[in-house]
Amino acid sequence: MNVVSMVVNRLVWFVPTVLGLLAVVFVLARIVPTDPAVLAAGENATAEQVQEARERLALDRPLPEQFVEYLRQVVQGDLGTSFYTQQPIVDDLTERLPATLELTILGVLAAGLIGVPLGVISGLNRNSWLDHLLRLVSVLFIGVAPFWIAMQLQLLFSMQLGWLPLSGRIDDFAPEAMTGFLTIDALVAGDLQNFLSALRHIVLPTLTLALPGAAVIVRFTRTSVVEAVNSPSVAYQTAMGLPRRVIVWKYILRLALNSTVTQLGLVFGISLTGAVVIEAVFEWPGLGTYAVRSILHSDYNAVMGVTLCVGVLFALSNLLVDLLQMAIDPRGAT
Amino acid sequence: MATSRREILKLGLLGLASLAGNSESASAQSRNRFVFANSSAFDSLDPHTVFDQGRAAVRFNLYDGLLRFVDNPPKLIPWLAESYAVSDDGKTYTFKLRADATFHDGTPVTSADVAYSIERILALRKGPASFYLDLIEPGSTQTPDPHTVVFNLTDPSAIFLTTVPNILVVNSALVRSKEKDGDWGAGWLARNEAGTGSYILRRYEPAVGWSGQRFTNHFAGWAGQPIDEIEFRTVQETNTRVLGLMRGDFDGADGLTYEQIQRLRPSPNVQILEAESMRIFLLALNNSKPLMNDVHFRRALAYSFDYDGFIKNIMKDSVTRNPGPNPVTIWGSPPGLKGYSFDLAKAREELAQVKQPLRKISINALAGYSESEQAAVLFQSALRQIGIEADIDVTPWPVVASRFAKAETQADVTPVWRSTFYVDPNNWVGEGFGTRYHGTRTMSYYSNPAFDQLLDQALLTNDHERRRELYEQMSQIVSDDAAGIFIYNTRWFGPYSTRVSGIRFSPASNGNDIRWATMTR
Amino acid sequence: MINLITSIVRHRTALVGLILLSLVVAVAIAAPLIVPYPEDAQTFHIERRLLPPSSEALFGTDRMGGDIFSRVVLGARMTLLITATVVLSGVLIGVPIGLVAGYYNNGISLVLGGGAEILLAVPQIILAIAITQSLGPSIGSVILALSVTYWPFWARIVFTETRSMCHETFVESAIALGVSAWRVIFLHILPNIASSIVVRTTTAIGTTAFASATLGFLGLGPPPPSPEWGRMIAESRDYLPDAWWYALAPGLALLLTVLGCTLFGDGLRDILDPKTRRRG
Repeated sequence: MNVVSMVVNRLVWFVPTVLGLLAVVFVLARIVPTDPAVLAAGENATAEQVQEARERLALDRPLPEQFVEYLRQVVQGDLGTSFYTQQPIVDDLTERLPATLELTILGVLAAGLIGVPLGVISGLNRNSWLDHLLRLVSVLFIGVAPFWIAMQLQLLFSMQLGWLPLSGRIDDFAPEAMTGFLTIDALVAGDLQNFLSALRHIVLPTLTLALPGAAVIVRFTRTSVVEAVNSPSVAYQTAMGLPRRVIVWKYILRLALNSTVTQLGLVFGISLTGAVVIEAVFEWPGLGTYAVRSILHSDYNAVMGVTLCVGVLFALSNLLVDLLQMAIDPRGAT
Repeated sequence: MATSRREILKLGLLGLASLAGNSESASAQSRNRFVFANSSAFDSLDPHTVFDQGRAAVRFNLYDGLLRFVDNPPKLIPWLAESYAVSDDGKTYTFKLRADATFHDGTPVTSADVAYSIERILALRKGPASFYLDLIEPGSTQTPDPHTVVFNLTDPSAIFLTTVPNILVVNSALVRSKEKDGDWGAGWLARNEAGTGSYILRRYEPAVGWSGQRFTNHFAGWAGQPIDEIEFRTVQETNTRVLGLMRGDFDGADGLTYEQIQRLRPSPNVQILEAESMRIFLLALNNSKPLMNDVHFRRALAYSFDYDGFIKNIMKDSVTRNPGPNPVTIWGSPPGLKGYSFDLAKAREELAQVKQPLRKISINALAGYSESEQAAVLFQSALRQIGIEADIDVTPWPVVASRFAKAETQADVTPVWRSTFYVDPNNWVGEGFGTRYHGTRTMSYYSNPAFDQLLDQALLTNDHERRRELYEQMSQIVSDDAAGIFIYNTRWFGPYSTRVSGIRFSPASNGNDIRWATMTR
Repeated sequence: MINLITSIVRHRTALVGLILLSLVVAVAIAAPLIVPYPEDAQTFHIERRLLPPSSEALFGTDRMGGDIFSRVVLGARMTLLITATVVLSGVLIGVPIGLVAGYYNNGISLVLGGGAEILLAVPQIILAIAITQSLGPSIGSVILALSVTYWPFWARIVFTETRSMCHETFVESAIALGVSAWRVIFLHILPNIASSIVVRTTTAIGTTAFASATLGFLGLGPPPPSPEWGRMIAESRDYLPDAWWYALAPGLALLLTVLGCTLFGDGLRDILDPKTRRRG
């Protein structure tokens, strides 16, 4: 399958998936215990005003009709207004998306940077004490709750040692937004103080996010390395008398890395899920905190908007992983 | 090779060190800037819709009213208005505006701006609107000349004057130009500012907070060495507020429990200001629900809360018992009002007189406020001992508030605070229990014709001694009827940087009125 | 079966996992008998609140003066109940759907497979939070929310395996011989993919325990004062760093449970799946 047809295939599947997703969330939003019309009308609203809000929001019409109306607006790029922030949800989301992306991308990168080398070491030194230690540690990090780890990191690095900030994204107001990634924006603006501040703030959330992902990558890379070591081609090269260093770099790592890339999608998924709760612990102003707050406040337009946004993000990341895989190994991709 | 690697290592370590280095250097070189860690999020800056005390900083620093509350006990001082007069029938209030007041963009403040502001409040029907919806008809406010504004009330109201500080004046020309689809500029004003206040909004990011720069041309003038720059940051994580104060990153913070205040005391950077406040903590009861409408059942509930245990162990004796609906720090409570004590034997006696079948009751605690949750859990555990089961539900304030809007949705029991919106007993006992406030500011859906009659009188007369008697009687009725369960009156603890002085606390502003404060540089 | 047991006993990882898991289950079942203060799930002693670990309270006391150790052990029952129900319903919903969708190649399979994919299109936790909030926080809503959001994992794995099974010669010949679809599915396909299901289920127990704790942590689990682990960890945040012991016991309990599942699952995969066994 070539790249174009794969992208098209993805897109074709994407539309019904998102439609279905929206339908699920739409129904959920309608069974919330709080009446959305009352929320929209605000405090002190009279019965007529609530009724007026009900009509304005089309809440008095049958559910399918409401859904179609909602879709019509979504297509026009209008996700409605948040009851809570009084802002168009599109604005709310664009404000918060970069924060989540910055954290997730750094988290996945860190997971890869920690996970791949350790996995390779573990796999090349199979059954050594180092291998056993790494396996134990990685299994531990898969088993530990991210929010618990986050709190322990906060306890140690922020409360006891005072090295890193406990929560938030930056000390001051953000530098002029260009990418929305504070570290990059500050660097571009040549604002060292803000850059350091942003960097110090992102360390602990990134670490928390990266650890479970790194653990998954260690385990997977180890398996692929072991597999590669035992593969016929490597056995052949060894028999041919190629130096071990060359074999490791030229063959084993390439084989192992190929299969590791496939795991990145999985890790991105873990990270995005992790971000929801990690953002809550670190008060990171991203989509996760927005989703949780909207849900807790029965802000149903916002809930639908954020679900849609995360769904698109998820789909895009899967697409990206597929493309990456195809670039690395055109034969293997399906 | 080896050397270069060591060099790189060194560089890396240096980088790490600068990364780990604390930001004291950063805050030390900062100018005359006051940074406050606010526990509530500034999701909107609209002074006519946002009305909780957690976000009072916007109202007190970016905007002004005709009158203003300062100090403790609170005093009402002339502000945008230099004087006012009340007609004999108590229905017409005429305010004379100062001639020298301007908005931040230089436009002079006129009576048209005041009229626009009250119309906007009435139209948006949020926040302060509940004070005026049944008192001022839309369009009835007159502006005979640019410096005179006349409010025409439908009935005389003894409390109108104390609510006037809430009519914050917006720049009508500016807001009008930002109106969209008849929204009274709500979309724009949620993120921008159009006031006369002591500070000009400089930056606002909903997820971060806002900062303001001193408005040097403010009509009230400036004395001494005022603070030039204020910053209110949303910091919902309690420990971040505590640590930030200790490290000197923050110059003030709110929303700390007494235990956290105690943790701050030894810190050389922090001073703790204290004051008796007017903010009562109560278990709001929904008197309209079956079973809850039985006075014996309510009394049984009132005998089932461990007041002393709660105040001693959970509040660490940082507050005092408040037996009635009004804070003990304001007039209007009968001298010697006893209230209820923790007495399960009496609770069982009262319960024995309940005719309706018992049922499970609902408790709605406030998310993010551990005291509210702990009160709920403590209450639930005591109720079980007298054979009443209770379910606890924890929800954020906006959800609690929307449930309060209807008798059917308000939970049976809600552990909640009632802050000072205006300084008058009506703010507590009147609004909390009068039938006329059902669906707006009630906390009880309590309905008692005898009470309502007293309330009507108290709202109509301006005779202070008479009003004191009336509110004392109302408090007695509410207490006898156990229409609410009253626990304590808040003592205000303001943790501030030792560099700050001159914080002028008032129960209305909760210390958020920064224009009077000074900072050593 | 006996073979399986001996392999598990021989396989160190699997054995450690199984022991951990059995320990958690045993403790949960015997909870009221073994904890020092069985009444502390509901009754409080506020005069003893926030005490550090001592011989009387092994892991300290919480904000209401409850013994944290007792509460964590009592909480194990809740976690176990939630996890067991969710995993069971995940299997009962996901496996049949996966089988049908994988075996047939028609509209029904499209709808079923599509349904699963829709639910997999966002992080499970977001959907679970939304459902729990809609239903109101209680054990029941947590169970329902997680069941609804987690069955697609089984459906997906069973679907993929069934699809590839359909191309195996023995299945193709069975179909060619006119064996009924149900017989093919249950007699030929299911036994051959059972090991994947078992492995998947074992790890899912850990994931589910995680998810339910996450809901609790975000304030959406069973309401206070239930001794739910996630909620206890969230509660502790107001009392850090002074009450450093507060989150220790619930965190460790969660870790042991998930660790047990991961190790046991790893071991089972090695034992049951000859392909990975070859890989070592």
